[in-house]
Amino acid sequence: MLTKEFIGLISNSSGLNKKETEQLLTTMNAVMRENLMAGKAIQLQGLGALEIKERKERVIVHPRTGERTVAPSKKQLVFRPVANLKDELKKI
Amino acid sequence: MAEKLTWTELRRALATRAGVSEKKASAFLNALQVQLVEALKQDKQVKINGLGTFKLQAVAPRKSVNVKTGEEITIEGYNKLAFTPEAGVKELVESGKWEVDPIQKLGSQAEEIVDILGELGQRPGEKPVEPKEEQKEEPKEEPEKVEESAFIPEAEPEPEPQPEPKPKKKKHHFVRDTLICVVILLMLLAGAYFFLRHELSSIIQSLIQPEQTEYLAPAPKEEEPVIETVVVEEPMVKEASVEEVAPVEDIRVYKDYILTEEITPGSRLAWIAKKHYGNKVYWPYLYDANKDHLRHPSQIAIGTPIRVPRLTAAQLDTTSAQFNQLRQEAEEACRK
Repeated sequence: MLTKEFIGLISNSSGLNKKETEQLLTTMNAVMRENLMAGKAIQLQGLGALEIKERKERVIVHPRTGERTVAPSKKQLVFRPVANLKDELKKI
Repeated sequence: MAEKLTWTELRRALATRAGVSEKKASAFLNALQVQLVEALKQDKQVKINGLGTFKLQAVAPRKSVNVKTGEEITIEGYNKLAFTPEAGVKELVESGKWEVDPIQKLGSQAEEIVDILGELGQRPGEKPVEPKEEQKEEPKEEPEKVEESAFIPEAEPEPEPQPEPKPKKKKHHFVRDTLICVVILLMLLAGAYFFLRHELSSIIQSLIQPEQTEYLAPAPKEEEPVIETVVVEEPMVKEASVEEVAPVEDIRVYKDYILTEEITPGSRLAWIAKKHYGNKVYWPYLYDANKDHLRHPSQIAIGTPIRVPRLTAAQLDTTSAQFNQLRQEAEEACRK
């Protein structure tokens, strides 16, 4: 489902019009991005949490040459769904 | 990462930033919470621009062994919720830098500044805004206004941060509106061309013919004038014959169309080809017949109308050189 359709769904169930919904969604994304970059995790009630996790550096092996190098550590945005949602979506 | 932005904090930040009541923000977030799950159940995938994609991934059933008894058991398949951040967001996270959009950053502050200035009895923000805009868009046509705008800021240089966000927004709208106008105009022109091209071509032909008579007239002057008329008629005959012969030889001419189909989510040219021609190898015809409004054969916007031409026996021959060439071209277009 694309953003537009999703906006339609939200606006149907919330009673807000589409323009407002779109604006709120963009603003929400901006707020979330800023807070994430400030080192905060975002708690989404009933859905899960968005947070930035650090992947440690690790040794990688080039499959052809067998060369070993260190892949640098990097940051990653991850989403952890709450247990309820996980179970709910397991069987559809 | 110990700190958390809770639901309530998010709601408040959202309300202040977007300039709506907290009630509305709450309604939005609650709807989002419910609808995201619904949408996932329905489509298994939800894309949110500016954030990323939530996707349900199927985990296949697999075999395992009961550790206690050594008995073989099957772990049933299930769905897993995965989140992929959007490319821009991913880069942002990796870089660790965050540049706040100046308009958004000022968002609520800008309004406050306006209020404060208004209380002080100074309302300079409105006036310099409009000349500035015109100065940017039409600098050549109206040089007098440039002078005006250059003059006004000099008189009141203090409220610099305040007028900034407003003209940006306005300009953005103006550019967008003009763009929309241009696009609509182009589409109208294209539509007119599409419907009138046969008439146009006949008009052009009739225009060309008199020219040719003039063109050819000086050459045979020394000879008999009777030939002149014969010479004039020749190109007409040639053109007509080319038109008649072409559909037989060139497989790219589509005489009539079975129907027009709209691209739906998940659909693609190969599927439509299979549906109507029984084999997906004929998809290049669909691309060729709709080339005028398709930019890329595998990246087609949902809702795009696809004309499905009726194929002749010659066109259905997949071994012909012409078909091969057509296919190669279409595949090349794919790789672009």
